[in-house]
Amino acid sequence: MARPDAGIVLEGVRKEFPGGVVAVDDFSLEVAPGEFVVLVGPSGCGKSTTLRMVAGLEPMTAGAVQIGGRDVTRFPPRHRDVAMVFQNYALYAHMTVAANIGFGLKMNDMPKAEIEPRVQRAAEILGITDLLKRKPRQLSGGQRQRVAMGRAIVREPAAFLMDEPLSNLDAKLRVEMRAEITNVQRRIGAPTLYVTHDQTEAMTMGDRVAILRDGVLEQLGTPLELYDAPVNVFVAAFIGSPAMNLIDATIEVESDTWFARFGDARVPIPHDRRESLVPFAGRPVRLGLRPEDLGRDGEGAIELPVIRTESLGSETIAYLDAGGERPLIARFDRRAPLAAGRHARIPVDLDRLYFFDADTGAAIR
Amino acid sequence: MTGRVLRALAITLIVVWSLAPIAIGLVTSFSTQRDVQAVPARWLPEQPTLDAYRSLLGGTSSQRAGGTVAESGTYSKALLNSTIVTLLSTLAVLAVAVSGAYGFSRLEFPGRRTLFWAISALIIIPVFMVVIALFRLMADAHLIDHKLGLVLVFAATQTPLALLLMRNYIAELPLEPEEAALIDGCTRWQAFWRVVVPQMSSGIAALAAIVMLAVWGEFLIPLLLTSTLNSKTVTVVIPEFVGKYTTNYPLLAAAGVLAVLPPAIVALVLNRHIRGMLHGSS
Repeated sequence: MARPDAGIVLEGVRKEFPGGVVAVDDFSLEVAPGEFVVLVGPSGCGKSTTLRMVAGLEPMTAGAVQIGGRDVTRFPPRHRDVAMVFQNYALYAHMTVAANIGFGLKMNDMPKAEIEPRVQRAAEILGITDLLKRKPRQLSGGQRQRVAMGRAIVREPAAFLMDEPLSNLDAKLRVEMRAEITNVQRRIGAPTLYVTHDQTEAMTMGDRVAILRDGVLEQLGTPLELYDAPVNVFVAAFIGSPAMNLIDATIEVESDTWFARFGDARVPIPHDRRESLVPFAGRPVRLGLRPEDLGRDGEGAIELPVIRTESLGSETIAYLDAGGERPLIARFDRRAPLAAGRHARIPVDLDRLYFFDADTGAAIR
Repeated sequence: MTGRVLRALAITLIVVWSLAPIAIGLVTSFSTQRDVQAVPARWLPEQPTLDAYRSLLGGTSSQRAGGTVAESGTYSKALLNSTIVTLLSTLAVLAVAVSGAYGFSRLEFPGRRTLFWAISALIIIPVFMVVIALFRLMADAHLIDHKLGLVLVFAATQTPLALLLMRNYIAELPLEPEEAALIDGCTRWQAFWRVVVPQMSSGIAALAAIVMLAVWGEFLIPLLLTSTLNSKTVTVVIPEFVGKYTTNYPLLAAAGVLAVLPPAIVALVLNRHIRGMLHGSS
């Protein structure tokens, strides 16, 4: 039997499709008991394939998977003791909600008298007790999502797998369900692997987040680790909304003062950053500036023409001409005196500068 | 505007074209031979009567005087044969086509495409081409004048098209409910039986209707493979009502009406089932 105190372990998992396309390459990850890990990345990065391999729906080319302390690599899905929530809910259209939720228990030969109270309890947790007699087609998207969740939690599986479960919901419901899923997961305590392409979901839901690109794990860490210390340009650009500004800049050294120059603007580099930048003195780098580190407080300041502004009520987003292809985005206070076409003085938080190798994209720290 | 008028005209024409023979048959079946032969022609019987149906289903040898064959129970027996053969053939086709189509669209095995197209290609071979060989084959198997013989031949001739239709239908079905079932503890077979088949109910109903209608109306094969009422179907028995010198038209019409009824009911009932379902799964 699966041990509840064990998590999900992926070791060197690889998926090569016929024709030689490698969807996932040498992927290793450990989800601790009770932990919520989000796999995130752009579409086609291999995150869903990884999840399907954990579920047993997709055969692995190489590697091993352990769930609940057992090596399940060669097991069919039904013997892996996992529950999965699908993007389009995947409810059984011909069954009532109660039958949908209880189906897994029934297939595992649980007596009817035991199934009913468990279905009832799962329905209570998700607030769908009044829907139990309905058919899926009579439910709204959010309700269907809850039924799909109910089907997963009622089994008390060794692991939860979720494949973009919120992407078919509208924006408001998505925010609600985000909180609900994390609450339910905390309550049940099963290790969870959650796939999404939405970095906001990853940031808000995950205890840890794994970022994938082209089937390779780019970085694994807590949301704040990824946000504060991205290992490369890809992670830096992927996490955060609006995304980090990435500018081609040159490291300039004038006697004791170091600058990152782009166009006419010069951003002074604090002393503690210089050591790692020595090999790049006089050379091009990628300078990363988060929009929220521009336009508020900061010792540094640059002057750039404003292309346009967007007032969000709580703040004003300014698009600035930094000489590159894409505008520089800064988040100003809502009362900031900004006008399109004019130059603006933009405060820069010098403690929050990011530098990346212009060739490899790796972070310079 | 003219487009709409033309459309209405075309639809009316098609409806009249399709319904007129049935209407004429229906009226004739309630007439007497005298009404039918009256000059000038009489559109409606003087005195509507069920005589034709009575003698058809009850059967009286007096009909022999009219030169027709309607011995007691002939027609009822043929109706029963048609029903048995149609139901068994349909069941056989459904069993093979539904599970086969599932295999062809969802499972990976060597030669999958080749085998599928080889079977589908059989659709283009007309039955006329193989009629003689078929007769020899059935004779050697001692299946001439056997309902089982008819069932086997119908199952074989209807399956390729059914398989093609079903495979396309399954290809459109969402994969996830099935995968959810596999994770929920089902074997492949259980997932197929408990989740996929119910999901396909509208498609299966539609296919059943198509096969039933095709088999019920089949003429050449039963004509070839049956010789007695042991296996003769209605399509074969009805033409026998046409006599050499005279024909009992009311009897013929009543036989036609009764023969049309079952497929008409099937079409009407299953037509409703064809829609619906599936709406909730995605």
